[in-house]
Amino acid sequence: MKKPFLLILISIFLLPLVVRPAIASEIWIFAIFGLGANLLLGYTGLLSFGQSTFFGSAAYVAGWMMKVHGINAFLALVAGIGVGALSAAAVGYLCVQRSGLYFIMLTFALNQLFYFTAYQWTSVTGGEDGMPGVPRPALAGIDFKDPLIYYAFVSLLFLLALFLMKRITESPLGKILQAIRENEVRAEAVGYNVPRFKLLAFVVGGAFSGLAGVLYAMLFGIVPLEAISFVFSGNVVFATLIGGSGSLYGPVIGSFVFIWLSESMSTVWARWPLLLGVAFVLVVMFLRGGLVEAWTRFWTWRSSKQRD
Amino acid sequence: MALLETKRLTKSFGALTAVNGVSLAVEAGSLHSIIGPNGAGKTTLFNLLTGTFPPTSGQILFDQNDITGTPASRVAHLGLARSYQRTTVFPAFSLFDNVWVAAFATGKSWKGLLHKKTSDYAEVTGRARQALQDVGLEQKSTQLARQLSHGEQRQLELAIALAAAPRVLLLDEPAAGLSPEETRRMVALVRALKGRYTMVLIEHKMDIIMSVSDRISVMHFGSLIAEGTPAEIQKNADVRRAYLGGVAA
Ligand SMILES: Nc1ncnc2c1ncn2[C@@H]1O[C@H](COP(=O)(O)OP(=O)(O)OP(=O)(O)O)[C@@H](O)[C@H]1O
Ligand SMILES: [Mg+2]
Repeated sequence: MKKPFLLILISIFLLPLVVRPAIASEIWIFAIFGLGANLLLGYTGLLSFGQSTFFGSAAYVAGWMMKVHGINAFLALVAGIGVGALSAAAVGYLCVQRSGLYFIMLTFALNQLFYFTAYQWTSVTGGEDGMPGVPRPALAGIDFKDPLIYYAFVSLLFLLALFLMKRITESPLGKILQAIRENEVRAEAVGYNVPRFKLLAFVVGGAFSGLAGVLYAMLFGIVPLEAISFVFSGNVVFATLIGGSGSLYGPVIGSFVFIWLSESMSTVWARWPLLLGVAFVLVVMFLRGGLVEAWTRFWTWRSSKQRD
Repeated sequence: MALLETKRLTKSFGALTAVNGVSLAVEAGSLHSIIGPNGAGKTTLFNLLTGTFPPTSGQILFDQNDITGTPASRVAHLGLARSYQRTTVFPAFSLFDNVWVAAFATGKSWKGLLHKKTSDYAEVTGRARQALQDVGLEQKSTQLARQLSHGEQRQLELAIALAAAPRVLLLDEPAAGLSPEETRRMVALVRALKGRYTMVLIEHKMDIIMSVSDRISVMHFGSLIAEGTPAEIQKNADVRRAYLGGVAA
């Protein structure tokens, strides 16, 4: 399965020729966010509607530390990953004992709690106006102010995140999380403490979300309030489902489609989310495996035609 | 010597007492069967033994240790494995992955949980292969569980329990819903496993029970009404009455 990886590499090189570097960077950042969300959604089968909690918390904390304390980019990434994992541990701890609708509602409610904290705490977050003035500090003498250099930095981190997530999903943990998705009762009976493994999925996914959050803050120089809102939580679930929650590359493709569409369509047609709604319904009704499944179906169909 | 023992074990669901003061001793190396009419409380007894839920009162001893109230995921590590009356497998997994994930749970070490490849665990993989072989499904190891026939799913159900390499095997109606031919194969399988494991077997089909059991306990409305060798149980008047629908003495 070298093909998807090759496609991604080519896309990384071609993308800045087609869209602005900022949009290109946003695509891979959102893809990192999606990788983390998919560990819960696709692998563990947990529909969390609170992923922006970890993304936003990391963006605010690391953004603040860069802005006020002048930490370097490396420390900012470490801080963001740490905050992402920690906030996910706290939220996950409260959520993993619940199941079904209660679980979903609780992830949503806790997200709202974080959102309103950010909304109210204007002296730090800027409330509705967002937290501006996040710098893009240099690292080892490399100046990230040049958008293309920052794009290269983001792309590298995305590849690293993809590699790590590939390892995790192919590890025993990946198998165990999928076993929990397939049959929670049996997973518990064969010897896995299911709530604890779900918590681990939260923490690992949260770390990825945190990384994405910091990169996002550095990209735009501001942490908008939406970064911690249910809109972002919904977007990442959305993108992951459209791309295909059953596979490693699903959220990457989903992010690509989602960000690209939202950037190109929003200037043309203000009601464009309507299109996304339609796409979402189609995926849920006919294409549970998302675009990845559409792709594999297309190829099996073609090869079967060629054999005839 | 008793490897698994219960002392006045009781479980109530509201007003219903599904298991009522059951004291049972399963000898190491034996095949101990539990029979009784529908709703007698047999499956509930298994749920108590494996920690699915804690008992209302009473005790469970495993290898002389009190394990009452130990949660299910920990009970598995002590060496108790069960199969389910209603097939409970991992549908989208290959047969191999079904047994692999069960084998890994009770593996010696979880080192490398987040970064090693599943194929890096030779001992676990060996145990998983063996479990599939024991039930005769090794040829289909790459097939998905949900593509199996009902009979094969029952075999897989058993293989998942075997993959843990348990000390005690609790089998809840392994022949449920099988055709006569499949039943014969399942009985042969249970016979082959006899002696390798201490086994507790729940079964409705009397001919199976009588031919494979060392001892038989009979449950009725949550209580034990008889215990003995197959020959003794066959002669027992209470047992006959319970099965004919009468009220236990
Ligand atoms: N979780 C539960 N909550 C409430 N009642 C339960 C629960 N589990 C079992 N029961 C009840 O306890 C009684 C015993 O059920 P159990 O499944 O143990 O019977 P069984 O002997 O296994 O029957 P069968 O031969 O039909 O499998 C039944 O009346 C059942 O409805
Ligand atoms: Mg039963």
